[in-house]
Amino acid sequence: MTAQHRATGTGPGRLLVAVYGILALAATARGVYQVATKLDEAPVAYLLSVASGVVYAVATVALATDRRRLAWITVGIETVGVLVVGTLSLVDVGEFPDETVWSGFGQGYGYVPLVLPFLGLWWLWSTGRTRADDRAPGATDHLG
Amino acid sequence: MIVPLALLVVLLCVVLAGWAAWFVVRDRAVVLRQLWGGAVIETVLVVQAVVAAVIAATDPPEGLSGGLFWGYVVTQAIVLPFAAAWAFAERTRWSSVVLLVAALTVAFLEYRLLQIWGTV
Repeated sequence: MTAQHRATGTGPGRLLVAVYGILALAATARGVYQVATKLDEAPVAYLLSVASGVVYAVATVALATDRRRLAWITVGIETVGVLVVGTLSLVDVGEFPDETVWSGFGQGYGYVPLVLPFLGLWWLWSTGRTRADDRAPGATDHLG
Repeated sequence: MIVPLALLVVLLCVVLAGWAAWFVVRDRAVVLRQLWGGAVIETVLVVQAVVAAVIAATDPPEGLSGGLFWGYVVTQAIVLPFAAAWAFAERTRWSSVVLLVAALTVAFLEYRLLQIWGTV
């Protein structure tokens, strides 16, 4: 296979990685703070905070360095995470107080945690197609 | 925290964001001078951290959560250097979008810092 993929960290992917990085920083910092200061209050939610931060961090590195397989896995986990925790946080307030990036479908973060994984999945899919599709031999760019 | 200093940070961030937005419109990548702009903001952030440390040590605001505050201080300081390096390596307009988002993030974190400090 000599299929050429566009690197996931280039062009619009540059922005995607940057936003992932900011979210990774926000989620990890929040999670570490929560676990360090008040773990006994809501252990499930706070450990989940740290876990989500780690997943965002791994996804950021994977997208930045074009590790597509790892990126698919981590972005997939985020998609499931925000949907499951978002739903649970609405139903079961006791276990999931509004204290993780995924609570309330990420409303504390302007719903970025809800939108981002879908953008990530779309970006991975769109860059994964072989460039031969749009750059066939002999085809000229920007004709007309 | 000193309000004028916080306003200065927000103002500088908005200026840098505007500069980056202009580059997005003009389809240009980040230039070195913009990174110097980011360095100026970082310098003000360091000054602010020192001032905050002095006030926190001598006359802290009531009910200040130190861990939370310093967590935000560190987070805010990390954003621009990483974003600048990441943006500068890309030579398309997306590089300017990255700087734009980073500058707005630092401005927003400044607002959160003021909240945690109890000013707003």
